[in-house]
Amino acid sequence: MWGFYIEQLMHSLPFFLKGLWMTIAVSGISLVVGTLLGFLWGIIRSSQNRTLKALVGAWVDIIRGTPFLVQVFIIFFILPEFGIQLEAFPAAVIALTNLAACFICEIVVAGIQAVPWGQREAAISTGLNWYQQLRNVIMPQAMRVILPPLVGQYVLLIKDSSVVSAIGVVDVTRVGWLTVQRVPQGLLVFGLVALLYFIICYPLIQLSNSLEKRMSSGYTRGKV
Amino acid sequence: MERYSVQRAMIEFKNVHKWFGDLHVLKDINLEVAQAEVMVVCGPSGSGKSTLIRSINRLEPIQKGELVVDAMKVHDPKTNMTKLRAEIGFVFQQFNLYPHMTALQNVTLAPMKVRKIARKEADDMGRYSLEKVGLGDKLHQYPAQLSGGQQQRVAIARGLCMRPKIMLFDEPTSALDPEMINEVLEVMRNLAREGMTMIVVTHEMGFAREVSHRVAFMDFGELTEIAPPGEFFSHPKSERTKLFLSKILTH
Repeated sequence: MWGFYIEQLMHSLPFFLKGLWMTIAVSGISLVVGTLLGFLWGIIRSSQNRTLKALVGAWVDIIRGTPFLVQVFIIFFILPEFGIQLEAFPAAVIALTNLAACFICEIVVAGIQAVPWGQREAAISTGLNWYQQLRNVIMPQAMRVILPPLVGQYVLLIKDSSVVSAIGVVDVTRVGWLTVQRVPQGLLVFGLVALLYFIICYPLIQLSNSLEKRMSSGYTRGKV
Repeated sequence: MERYSVQRAMIEFKNVHKWFGDLHVLKDINLEVAQAEVMVVCGPSGSGKSTLIRSINRLEPIQKGELVVDAMKVHDPKTNMTKLRAEIGFVFQQFNLYPHMTALQNVTLAPMKVRKIARKEADDMGRYSLEKVGLGDKLHQYPAQLSGGQQQRVAIARGLCMRPKIMLFDEPTSALDPEMINEVLEVMRNLAREGMTMIVVTHEMGFAREVSHRVAFMDFGELTEIAPPGEFFSHPKSERTKLFLSKILTH
């Protein structure tokens, strides 16, 4: 019985790999753009500009305080009411990018705050401008605090990407839904789905752990 | 040692006030520091000494009065502080070295970024500065590998590497173990001999007596007494100064 299902599943394997590729594409684009945006927002939130700070802060709070599924629905189903029509794929990427940026923003803010104020004062005193302070003094130190949770956040975001299957993006989760209608073995089908996510996430979990260890040791061991 | 009186003022406070909220931390400060003068500022903690020297490079902005440093108006918000800060070395109580950089990288960062000096030349200057503070053999050590006294000397070298006109010291030896204080003071003595304009907030009265041209006493945000060290220590005018000196000199 199981052998039969496994064989059937093997026939669907190319389909699963396509789904896996979609998951990687959606998460990959979102994580790269979301990281850039998240650093930008985090730096703005740590700056002196009150208006921008408040704006970014409010946006991050809204996004962190609402379910991702609802955000995806708003972008995909509700924006068209206002004339903004989006395909499932760009809608998914926009939603996940925004989510990533918001969480990463918070991680970056925490990292910047972890750098003692005296470091900034030393940099100011030698005449470095704002950008030079950030680039040469603040961020290299903040990165030690930022990197481990950042990679951990990537794992969460890749898993969150499964939510976009709800608007018809054919990612691994969606492939699971479609396959289970032909191969009525939920455990087997979603076991495979889970395995595929795990294959992507596990190396990242390991990376996060090893970064944590490396970053918590002193500065004498060399560069980040 | 009397040169300062004929030189032009390098730092000039005119009726300077500063508040932290309701707290009046600098009250009508009037002070001139001449080129090549060494001034020591002492006083009880919380009297505003740190705020006084931190206002000179606008780490703390003042709210009233005029503060002119090297002919630049620090009280004027339009003044380009980056340019002025490059001329002022600042040494902190807690060193504030960049922990992710070697000693040499610490001292060469600002020359390369602010003065736009090429790496090779900056490295030469950095090596020279570090040799000057006796750390020519520690160029590639990270701060965490250095003792407190060595770290503070790197911090001084970091200031010197910008070829500054003024060096400010905010309790440079207060965070050091007693046996390391002297190596830092020795570097400062040499600087003073070379004619660096210096303001030093410190409780090291031996240093004040031996090196400074004038000693200022600060209390409750006011500069209550300024005098050459001989006079300051042997004939303090106010009761507060006497009380402070009796506490600090007997221990």
